[in-house]
Amino acid sequence: MGMKNKNTLYPSTLSDPETWVEQHGDYLFRYAMMRLRNKEFAENMVQETFLAALKGKKSFSGRSTERTWMVGILKHKIIDHYRKDFRERPVTDLQNLQFEEEQTVDQFYDAMENPRKYPKDWMPDQQAVLSSKEFWVVLHGCMDKLPKTTSSAFAMRELDDMDTPEICKELGISSTNLWVMLHRARLQLRECLERNWFEKK
Amino acid sequence: MKTPDNWEDPTPVPIVTSCKQAARLVSMSFERRLTVRETLSMRIHLMMCKTCTFYGRQITALRTIFSRHEEVLSNTPASDDEKLSDQAKQRIKCFLSKH
Repeated sequence: MGMKNKNTLYPSTLSDPETWVEQHGDYLFRYAMMRLRNKEFAENMVQETFLAALKGKKSFSGRSTERTWMVGILKHKIIDHYRKDFRERPVTDLQNLQFEEEQTVDQFYDAMENPRKYPKDWMPDQQAVLSSKEFWVVLHGCMDKLPKTTSSAFAMRELDDMDTPEICKELGISSTNLWVMLHRARLQLRECLERNWFEKK
Repeated sequence: MKTPDNWEDPTPVPIVTSCKQAARLVSMSFERRLTVRETLSMRIHLMMCKTCTFYGRQITALRTIFSRHEEVLSNTPASDDEKLSDQAKQRIKCFLSKH
């Protein structure tokens, strides 16, 4: 039974490429939007993914579903995009960025000193939050307020669950650069979520 | 250029830390294994400080939420602005047909 099910679940041949856009387009687009937060870039990535899939049809082993295979391609395309984004920045820009990030971190601490802004005890009902459409709208809004490089680094860490050395290698930044960015992202996101979501619930 | 606060400062963190230092240690504990001393100073601080405890819980919750985002993509219907527009679909189909 196991074998048979497995075979129907993971057919070893791909479906007709002409049906790909209808079958997977929306899913891949949403996946890309979550990481890129830019419609034009996301559409472009989806197109590039289909093209790579078309050209690399032979590399599909049938060990995963067609969609998982495509998501894997898309993931790499997005990381390439981030990498280019970082590599094109002059080194001084990154140093400045880190300096700014440190200052922002300080601002968030200063804000926390204000008793009215102490972090509150929100323990989200994770299941409820995860399935709430409004929550994701607010969360995306909060992510959009991060500097682009910070949100890219944060996405690699938290959405793609890459580890620190891997991200540093991809982006060509030091671990200190990265740690500051991640720390700042967390501070800013929790503050934004608290203000725009938890205090309103 | 002013040297930003050093994250890899070899001097051990004090056992009694500020909120700023404690919050950083919490965030850092997601990135690497803390030294015994760092762990100790973080724990001691958290025992005494409600603010940082809440902060720690919040960013831990954030982590969990992000780590489960693919479930959201698979299980919740996409709103219209999360879908490829018809024009985009047409454009991509047209592009692919040329390859």
